[in-house]
Amino acid sequence: MIASMVQSKAQRAKFLAFCLLPTMILFAVFSVYPLISGLYYSLFKWSGSGAKKTFIGLGNYARLLEDPVIPKAIGHDYFLVFFKVLGIMVLATFFAVVLTQFRIKESGFYRVVFFFPNIMSVVVIGILWTFIYNPDMGLVNSGLRAIGLDGWTRPWLGSLTWALPSIVLPAVWAGIGLFMLMIMGGISGIPASIFEAADVDGATKWEQFWKITLPLVWAQLKASIIYIVITTLNGSFVIVQIMTEGGPNNATHVMGSYLYQQAFVNYNFGYAAAIGVLILALSLATVLCLQLFLKREKIQY
Amino acid sequence: MKRQLKGLVAAAIIAGLMAGCGSTGQQETGKAADKPAEAAAKGKLSGKFEIQYFVGGYGDKWWKQAISDFKAANTGLDIVEYAGPNVNTEMKTRWISNTPPDLVYIAGAGSSEAQMVADDQLMDLTEWARTLKLEDGTPLLSSFFVKPGEYNGKMYALPLVLDAWGTWYDRSWMKQNGYKVPSDFNTWLDTMKDVKEKGGIAPLVTDGKHPYPLRGLLMPGFAAEGGEKLIADLVDAKEGAWKSEPVLKVVKKVEQMQKAGYIDPGFAALNHTQSQMNFLLHKNAFIPVGFWLPFEMQKDVPQGFDFGFIPTPMQDPGKPFAMLPQISPLAIAKKAKNPEAAKAFIDFVFKRKYAELSPELQGAMLNIKGVNLDNNPKIPPYLKEVNALVNDKSKVTFYSLPHPMSADLEKPVFDQLVSLMLGQITAEEFVQRAEKAAADFRKNSK
Repeated sequence: MIASMVQSKAQRAKFLAFCLLPTMILFAVFSVYPLISGLYYSLFKWSGSGAKKTFIGLGNYARLLEDPVIPKAIGHDYFLVFFKVLGIMVLATFFAVVLTQFRIKESGFYRVVFFFPNIMSVVVIGILWTFIYNPDMGLVNSGLRAIGLDGWTRPWLGSLTWALPSIVLPAVWAGIGLFMLMIMGGISGIPASIFEAADVDGATKWEQFWKITLPLVWAQLKASIIYIVITTLNGSFVIVQIMTEGGPNNATHVMGSYLYQQAFVNYNFGYAAAIGVLILALSLATVLCLQLFLKREKIQY
Repeated sequence: MKRQLKGLVAAAIIAGLMAGCGSTGQQETGKAADKPAEAAAKGKLSGKFEIQYFVGGYGDKWWKQAISDFKAANTGLDIVEYAGPNVNTEMKTRWISNTPPDLVYIAGAGSSEAQMVADDQLMDLTEWARTLKLEDGTPLLSSFFVKPGEYNGKMYALPLVLDAWGTWYDRSWMKQNGYKVPSDFNTWLDTMKDVKEKGGIAPLVTDGKHPYPLRGLLMPGFAAEGGEKLIADLVDAKEGAWKSEPVLKVVKKVEQMQKAGYIDPGFAALNHTQSQMNFLLHKNAFIPVGFWLPFEMQKDVPQGFDFGFIPTPMQDPGKPFAMLPQISPLAIAKKAKNPEAAKAFIDFVFKRKYAELSPELQGAMLNIKGVNLDNNPKIPPYLKEVNALVNDKSKVTFYSLPHPMSADLEKPVFDQLVSLMLGQITAEEFVQRAEKAAADFRKNSK
């Protein structure tokens, strides 16, 4: 009787294999293999379009150190990380609090409105905003002209100064919805009695936000920040590629778009692989730093 | 268990790799190769013959015609076509794995003659090309507008379609507004001044994301100023070439246009179709771009728009226009399995007959001199005009690049050109930075 209830060791192994094997195989094929081959190719001078490969050891890495675009691209990556985290977190938290705690009638409608950009492809968002920023026919410049601010119009994406900040806006806009929902989930998990008690004690909404809401949704905030950082470091490539292709004069290149340019426009596949390794190293280092930085006692009331 | 797991992972990786290499859009034209006896009876050529050709704005009508004619003349061949707008990417795995198609038309995104030569993928055609002749017996090489690219004295690809960079304008709009069509740099400045003052628009627009202004504005200027020697030195990144006197002189002309406000301040935000659209909407008067403009934009051309073309007037008064071609060549793979068929096909299409068909079927000229287009009513007038212009030596000088500029040099130089055209750097700073880019290029291409 007991024997039939306890699984045999072999059965247990079979069950585990059944659960883990598909994931392991996918992981090996789509993560481990590309990772290793990326490392491997970064040691070669290879165009990526022919069979001719020359082993050059750390040559591509030496080139990384001398390439003037690399420090620029890294700077742009962290510029985007900083402003995206700031913009998305502030706005998403603000909207989440307003929609959950202020009992607005149309909160369902706003939820849809804010989440809407999340169901659009980044490619569509990029193209849409390229039109919005178009120097001649775009919404931004036409709007400025309509209200008499002609002096403020500029070729947003074509300006060495304004191109990168112009990319932040759609990136933030596209990101808010998902994190707003995550934070709303966190807030609705806080027992209403805590807020009621705070009300009785005479705490203002502002105090309630700082003392109750924020500490109790910290886990969600932390997860959101790390997620934004990782997706920005690895994924801003798409929006940059669509909107500016890294230009004008490399003013918006992020590491991902520069990697793409080196691999598929300039035919330096090996060098691009080295850039890929650099992205990996920087993402890892950043996430580790964040983990330390965001470490905070878990609070329960 | 562990060993089994390893085996499974390995099997999955191999399966994944094999799946990744298999699919391309191929079409089979004939199956005759299955019967070698019949093939031998009808023609000398037999076996499978694979052609890779890019299909872009020019369409594939010319190709279909040429291939079906070739097929009719060589019934023993089994012709397989790999074609389409993404064919260069789709066929990459074949080139990487050293099993390329026999013949390749090097054109469109993702293709580069210089890179294919650097990767040692193309057959040396130097000796054989000398034996080719047109219908009337004139040697093919002396009938080319543009000489084949040369790499250490060897040629690997024969230029088939002739594209050239020049400057477009709307003939009827210019006439209506009383603007004069420029004939050299000074008259161009005069017209641009006129357009800016009377029309209130920035006269010149171009693509700010890709090296169009480098190819369409600077290079013709360099050619007019320093001839083929200079442009060859520039393309080869010879030490000192980019900061030489003639280069600075031409760059100063661009700087002058920028300072006068003749360059659209928004150009850096535009890609080539957006800049072409601005031009069609008369937001600008001139656009330096290739022959393909009318064909590419044919669906968006406003009524009454009348395309006019001149080689970009960067030259001083009294000199002929300088024209720089951008050619799309045919080449044979070094590892071709049926090189004889590939050679026969090249010989077959490099004829006046197919050069006459090309403007009609694909709106493009082939790289063959002395083709008469006047009697064909299906050919658009601007192409006839271009054909007459390029065949007139007193007005236009053709300058061939020894080979296309490598993207590793072109991109950083173009980046600096954008800064110059935005007014962020001076002509002197530009030449210094371009020279630095050339030095980096020399270092990295070793």
